[in-house]
Amino acid sequence: MLSQLTRLIRGNRELSTFLTCAVLSFALMALPGRVKDASGGAISGVVLGPFKRLTAAATELGHIRQENVALRRLAVELMDERAALVECGHENERLRELLSVLVTFSEQERFEMLPARVVGMPGGRVVERMEIDKGSEDGVRSGMPVVVPDGLVGKITRARPARSHVEPLASAAFAVSVVVERSRVRGIVRPRYQRTSQQVTWEMDYVPARSDISEGDRVVTSGLGGVFPAGLSVGRVESVTDGPLTMYVRIAPAVDFSTIEQVFVLTGTTTEPRERTELEQRLLNEMARERTGESEN
Amino acid sequence: MRLGAFALIVFAAVVLDATLAPELEIMGARPDLLVLVVVYGSLVMGTRVATIAGFLAGLVVDAELPEYMGVNALALAAIAYVGGGIWDHLVRANVLVQCAVLFAASVGHDAIYYMVYYRNHLDMFSRFMVRYGLIGGVYTALLGLVVFMLARARGWRAIAGGPYA
Repeated sequence: MLSQLTRLIRGNRELSTFLTCAVLSFALMALPGRVKDASGGAISGVVLGPFKRLTAAATELGHIRQENVALRRLAVELMDERAALVECGHENERLRELLSVLVTFSEQERFEMLPARVVGMPGGRVVERMEIDKGSEDGVRSGMPVVVPDGLVGKITRARPARSHVEPLASAAFAVSVVVERSRVRGIVRPRYQRTSQQVTWEMDYVPARSDISEGDRVVTSGLGGVFPAGLSVGRVESVTDGPLTMYVRIAPAVDFSTIEQVFVLTGTTTEPRERTELEQRLLNEMARERTGESEN
Repeated sequence: MRLGAFALIVFAAVVLDATLAPELEIMGARPDLLVLVVVYGSLVMGTRVATIAGFLAGLVVDAELPEYMGVNALALAAIAYVGGGIWDHLVRANVLVQCAVLFAASVGHDAIYYMVYYRNHLDMFSRFMVRYGLIGGVYTALLGLVVFMLARARGWRAIAGGPYA
């Protein structure tokens, strides 16, 4: 029986190969656990190790690429958010400035002030006209003064229902009666367009020779003429040249017209002081605290 | 086909099975690349060579899970041997026959493996056979279809038969 089986196996090479493999397989199954672990680790490490590392690296590279794309997208979003926050910060700063002026100015002079945003500024180097987002529906009328914290901007020349035109101090037709704050010397400030340099300068006309004016003197509105209230800052004396009859006084305007974004229209005067809103009161308190902190430092 | 080329194919299948097969999963089932190679090996190279190739390939796969060392080697060697014997009784160059043999071989391979793996939990064996074994068998049979089409396009007579047979 055994000899017949042996002959069968020897005569059938396929069967003998399979039986050998089967016996080896069972022998492997019967190996002790630690031997299996050691041999398995060695075979796997030598045969498959390099390929597995390669695959792992490729997979990781894919993940890194995906992560990179996601991070780039996030970076763009964060940059956008940052830009928006910076813009908000600047706006907040401007509004705080405006608010401080609004509160103090209206308390002292009791003017009614309408905040407005500049929505148009046609023209090149010379700002001839500005457009604001408040109009007759908001109570704006032609001739009303327009100011910013730094001083006088101009006056309303045309009030449409929702928008108004402002003629700024830089406009060629503009003229305002002023007074030197220190010496009370009066004059008229007008812009002069220099053809050669293509720039606008401001001059104070009708100033008698040998008047008491020095460089750096503050020039404010005189209140004469009834258009502008007295005391609005117009600029500072930049240079003074004495002549035989009058003085040539050049003024540096208090307002940088090219950077104006928000203004106030002086819509009238009140007899009663305006009550502060909760927000204004809170901001004023904050500003007072900041000032106290700065002075302490 | 030369023995060296077949050895290279077997080695590539082992590497792909260990590295890329998880990426080819469909509904949790993977294609049985080693069964594919062993079955076609028995068709092209003969039963002996395929049996040895199946044993060695199974041994490398077993090295990944040493606790069951020898199980894959036995299963793949058995499939190669049985497959090699079956081809003599079938119309080889028929795509449906090849797909059916691949399906049966894949299910048989999984059956041997799961039987050892879940020898103490026969309920798990049947669940895994239904859940993964059958789908894996279909998957492998479909890959056989791809191999057949490729063989036909390239004129591999041993697989595609036809005018080349």
